[in-house]
Amino acid sequence: MANLRLGLVHTPITPFKADRKIDFGLFESVVAFHLKNGAEGLAIQMHTGESVSLSDAEQRQILEFTVRQVKGRVPVIAHTSDAGTQIAADRARYAQDTGAAAVIATTPYYWTPPPAMIVEHFARIGSAVTIPFYVFHTPDELAATKLSADLVLKLIDRLPNFAGLVDSSHQWQFMIDSISAAWRVRPDFQLISGTEYMVSAGTIGASAMFSPLAAVAPKLVRNLYDICRTEKYFDARKPQENVAALRQAVKRAGGIEALKGAMRAMGRDCGDTRPPLDKLEAKRFEKLAAELAAMPFLRDEPRGW
Amino acid sequence: MGRMFEGVMQSTVTPLKEDFTPDLATFEKLLDFHVRTGATAISWPHHKGESLNLTMAQRKALAEVAVKALGRRIPISIHVSALSVEDSMELAQHAQKIGADAIIAITPYFWNPSQEALYDHYVRLGTSIDLPLIAYNSPRMLSGAEFTGELLGRLLERLPNLVALKDASFHSEKFLELSRTALAIRPDFSLVTGVEFLAPSVPLGGVGCYSSAGAICPNLCTQLWEACISGDAPRARDLQFKMLRLWDLLKEQYPSSLKGGMVIMGRPVGPTSPPLPTANKERVAFIAQRLEELGIIESEPHGW
Repeated sequence: MANLRLGLVHTPITPFKADRKIDFGLFESVVAFHLKNGAEGLAIQMHTGESVSLSDAEQRQILEFTVRQVKGRVPVIAHTSDAGTQIAADRARYAQDTGAAAVIATTPYYWTPPPAMIVEHFARIGSAVTIPFYVFHTPDELAATKLSADLVLKLIDRLPNFAGLVDSSHQWQFMIDSISAAWRVRPDFQLISGTEYMVSAGTIGASAMFSPLAAVAPKLVRNLYDICRTEKYFDARKPQENVAALRQAVKRAGGIEALKGAMRAMGRDCGDTRPPLDKLEAKRFEKLAAELAAMPFLRDEPRGW
Repeated sequence: MGRMFEGVMQSTVTPLKEDFTPDLATFEKLLDFHVRTGATAISWPHHKGESLNLTMAQRKALAEVAVKALGRRIPISIHVSALSVEDSMELAQHAQKIGADAIIAITPYFWNPSQEALYDHYVRLGTSIDLPLIAYNSPRMLSGAEFTGELLGRLLERLPNLVALKDASFHSEKFLELSRTALAIRPDFSLVTGVEFLAPSVPLGGVGCYSSAGAICPNLCTQLWEACISGDAPRARDLQFKMLRLWDLLKEQYPSSLKGGMVIMGRPVGPTSPPLPTANKERVAFIAQRLEELGIIESEPHGW
């Protein structure tokens, strides 16, 4: 297995035109922005990128586009989750052929298979490639299917390329159980914080971070991540609280449409989300923009592209 | 003024005789053990103390024993939560009367009250006494009823005697919402975790925990706390991992495995009351093996 250590991974949005087609012109600016503003990796396309609203062909297209633009400057991690195991595995193989540095997948959409079939699902996706494979744990979005330390161990046993766990559960017990068990059999296994709650995750072993908010406040995110990597967690409290304040403001305004709204407030208009997600109507946008304007720590952040 | 509640605090088990009635003499010995081994405060009876399986009369009698046995060496808070809120109110009055230092109360059981009802509940409880009040948040056990940052903030504005919150969410986002709200309003507020999840909480303003394992391994508790407050991240992580392996063992039918472990450490406290099972011989042997593997038997005090 290639020895890939992830760092600060940005998770870009997908911009759409008024006719709801992907706006590749704008997406090029999105990718360029992330590369210029501290991304050590790009995950294409996570839920933040509305992956579930993209067709298989579009997911492949957007990955190819990114790999071409990035030209190996940072690793591109391909998110290949789907409902059907074979579909997700085929997309993973395609990602490897396209030049992705790693593949990531979460539990199947919609279905609630028994634990043995969850192992099978991940094992088939992971074994479709030889590049590193990461499992994405996001129980708030996919509540019906639970992951466990036992599943992590079973997958380590099955997959030599199972490189790490991207955790958005924020649950201390799950993270500690999983990473401590994994390290006993695979010492270079990586725990990656799936959002910017890096202080708590870092204290219990996370070495990397996925960040949607890097599209809004890349300096703040970078600062938080850098301090956490030195393990000076008391020093990270202030940036962690600032990131949380930003995150909660966006959350109060909505989902991905609010993230896009926050980008717009920072001078990076990416248009609307694709149906069935709501558009961010003017009233919600104005409230969010006003909240962001009142956050002093956003003053140093880049405006525009 | 320093905080009354910080560091590794012990919420003790309730020693029982074979007929499941309280064993008062052993309770006194246990409290003394905790004081001697570094507890910064005592709180009783949390669920680990089988609170909901005790009658009102038993709870009052044991609370009196506890206050007397501690003799003001360290603060004691009384957990007043009962199925009926009216009983909680009565236990709060009783705690005040017998000289307890504070009361602690979880969100009400069973009904999943709204945020507004939780606000009203804590205001009613908090204004009924002159003692400090500790709120207790356990969203995983009482799904639907939980402290949001907003609720905690409102209560802090309303209740000057709300001095601490025991958070058992064990969740990065939830903990941070509570800490950044509470500490902005009142910097000396004590935010502590439900069991020893100290490494992920101390850097964000956490000031301690109610311990699950202190009756088994007080030395490990102290070492973990010291590593966390000194900012020794690698050591804190190693000790936190060890503590969690222990928690994974003890949380099984809590507190019956804990009571089983105390037998091995030479501090037997009797059975666990139904409907909770009592650790049988096989379970105790299994726990003994795990404590041996974790190096706890040789590194922690044996006997009283």
